[in-house]
Amino acid sequence: MAQHQVNYLKDGGLPVALTTIDKVVNWGRSNSIWALTYGLACCGIEMMASGASRYDFDRFGTIFRASPRQAELMIVAGTLTKKHAEFIRRLYDQMTEPKWVISMGSCANTGGMFNTYATVQGVDRVIPVDLYLPGCAPRPETLQYAVMMLQQKIRKEPASRAQKPKRLM
Amino acid sequence: MQQANRLRPFFENITFDRVDNEMVLNFGPQHPSSHGQLRLMLHMQQEQITKAHPDIGYLHRGMEKMAENMIYNEFMPTTDRMDYIASSSNNYGFALAVEKLIGLEVPRRAKVIRMLLLEINRLMSHLFWLATTALDIGAMTVFLYAFREREYLMDLVEDYCGARLTHAAIRIGGVPLDLPDNFITDLRKFLDKLPANIKDYEDLLDKNRVWLMRMENVGVISKEMALSWGCSGVMLRASGVQWDIRKEEPYELYDEVEFNVPVSDKGDNYARYKLYMAEMRESAKILYQVADMYEGTPTELMAHAPQYISAPKLDIMTQNYALMQHFVLVTQGMRPPVGEVYVPTESPKGELGFYINSQGGPYPYRLKLRGPSFWHTGILTDLLPGHYIPDVVSIIGTTNIVFGEVDR
Amino acid sequence: MRAYTPKDNVQKKSYYTDRFWVAPQVAKSAVSDDAVFAADLDAIKAKFDVLDAYIQVDQMVVVIHANDNYAVLELLKNEREYTQLSEMSAIDWLATEGKFEIFYQMLSMAKRKRVRIKCKIDEKEAIQSVEKLFRCADWSEREMYDMFGVVVNNHPFMKRILMPDDWEGFPLRKTYPLQGDEFAAWYEVDKIFGKEAREIIGPENRDPARIDRYDTKRFARLGHEVPFGTDISQGEPDTPLVYQEQKGVFMVDKFDTQKSVVISDRHR
Repeated sequence: MAQHQVNYLKDGGLPVALTTIDKVVNWGRSNSIWALTYGLACCGIEMMASGASRYDFDRFGTIFRASPRQAELMIVAGTLTKKHAEFIRRLYDQMTEPKWVISMGSCANTGGMFNTYATVQGVDRVIPVDLYLPGCAPRPETLQYAVMMLQQKIRKEPASRAQKPKRLM
Repeated sequence: MQQANRLRPFFENITFDRVDNEMVLNFGPQHPSSHGQLRLMLHMQQEQITKAHPDIGYLHRGMEKMAENMIYNEFMPTTDRMDYIASSSNNYGFALAVEKLIGLEVPRRAKVIRMLLLEINRLMSHLFWLATTALDIGAMTVFLYAFREREYLMDLVEDYCGARLTHAAIRIGGVPLDLPDNFITDLRKFLDKLPANIKDYEDLLDKNRVWLMRMENVGVISKEMALSWGCSGVMLRASGVQWDIRKEEPYELYDEVEFNVPVSDKGDNYARYKLYMAEMRESAKILYQVADMYEGTPTELMAHAPQYISAPKLDIMTQNYALMQHFVLVTQGMRPPVGEVYVPTESPKGELGFYINSQGGPYPYRLKLRGPSFWHTGILTDLLPGHYIPDVVSIIGTTNIVFGEVDR
Repeated sequence: MRAYTPKDNVQKKSYYTDRFWVAPQVAKSAVSDDAVFAADLDAIKAKFDVLDAYIQVDQMVVVIHANDNYAVLELLKNEREYTQLSEMSAIDWLATEGKFEIFYQMLSMAKRKRVRIKCKIDEKEAIQSVEKLFRCADWSEREMYDMFGVVVNNHPFMKRILMPDDWEGFPLRKTYPLQGDEFAAWYEVDKIFGKEAREIIGPENRDPARIDRYDTKRFARLGHEVPFGTDISQGEPDTPLVYQEQKGVFMVDKFDTQKSVVISDRHR
């Protein structure tokens, strides 16, 4: 058995840390982002791949939840069609504050290659978006980077309840 | 400006008057086990389904309309997004249809590379099917295992074309690139390992009580029903019809390789599961044989047809006329002859058909995509009644539907 | 003067046309070349008018009258072993002939042959459903109605399938533009926020190459975040993505490359 002897006076001080509520709350929030399984099209497959064995997403505390009530991050992975648009808005409204949205892939960003009658030209016409991921389809590494960027963004935000919900308009 | 009550929850699909206990349950379009954007309206008597209405179109992106406004080569990447789990098989289906239309013969090395890509894609698709279906039924371990193997295949494809998911790895008239140096060695290495992996999955699932309860005698499709609903691929073979387009109407080099077509006459979920596993083994067998064919084929990769196909890069860079042809083909597009063609291929999901009506212009006059999943979703209308709610998930799982292909 | 654009076909046209170019044809051969097809054709001819029949790319094409469609498919299914309807849809010829062409792609597994039955109907004409013969026609005919507006008689559930129920227009008609009409452009905004939100949300950006570097409405500006819709043409604030204090937060260490150690011996 290894003996762990920590000299608190020498190695990094006493196990007491002083911080602000903002930081503690944001530390918790940013390290346990639960994402809604919202695979719409091809990007959804890459989203699954990021969650699977090779690109283990659980390392980031990102766990996919099927219910919007338990999720705080919506990864819009794939083409949003006009028929589906009302559902994405409803699911977004069902998520609890604070909530964030990553628009994954060109289709979700701008409509991408599907410049047709049936696709919404960017999910930001329907819900407010925090991060746009380019690529068709973005690799799992890209999604991981996006989640890391989102963590940084969350850590920067004030965590108080007075923060205003994001508005599309 | 934003009105919170604008999108009220709508109750038109829930009957509150208790008339003989019927309830209408809405399943999807955002549901983790609906494999995409399938919406099912299920009429229920207690737990039993009496009527099912699949509602599709949540991923309708207008691909057929896009095809009418695009030159033929421009449409190739769009086909990737049809069955996005096995993109190269769509690329191939489209390329073959156009080749049949203009009457092209593809060089042998291109055929070998196409065969490799097709079978790698079949393996990828089947592994993905196994992963997601097992996950839906609750076998998380199999999901993680199957994705591990799938990543090896994705690395192989990435070595070849640079993309993981949307390959666009096949061109009309051949393939754009030769295989990278260590491709065949890596492939063989993977194939040597694969049987042990498949055995792992089978050890986990075959005798598993939960798996058997969810799979055996659930979702039985009779032969008549499968034929009448236009089923193809595993859905048809599990119902006792021996029909594999690779065998019956061989394309590419499928008449030169040795493989079996596994058939079952049970028609239930378990039969389909066993067929997928057997098909993986057959694919591996084909890949071994095709890998041996690669050595010693002539290095030509694209068919020679200056009217339709650009010359090789070397010619474009050195010969004036080849450059002019290339310029015309890129800016205006090829103009296939007037006529129509329907070409079926055996994609991992079933019969993938491309109907092209060409009027001699650079854009197809009409292009109809026949995705097998469209009919495999339709069959849910007749298949689900009589089953219970938990069966819905396992039945959707074994139909192996992909919504890029259903809605196009 | 503006160039004349035809209204009956708004699909993309080739900008380059050669007056003297004659399009080649895909070779057609006589049905009598293939014994199996010839027998099938004779069986059809015995009972119905056949307007045209030929073999193209290994498949027989038979053109019939539109009101015979059910009977011909019934004959093929029950007597000629064409047990599967693999595909059916329509082609829009309204601009040239004022007609829709409907094709049925049949497959015989016993004979390994494929036959295409074709017929033409007028724009307002309805066609008989073949759903009683092949269940798969249920969905195909709905799709055909959805995309072309071809009404099918005796169909059990004639509703749109791919597009929403309240959609206007038939997308695959040649008169329907690729990027949709006015109704399509505002569909999701009207449905979710209401017509009054059109001005606020603004029109769709259909130019795939458009990039506006001062656009704070559509682009997230990580590292330079400003409130929605702020004018930043005069410069933008620098908001680096770091923790609120430089020394890191409780229990989260910053990665320091100097202090990292590469472990070569895993049993160390």
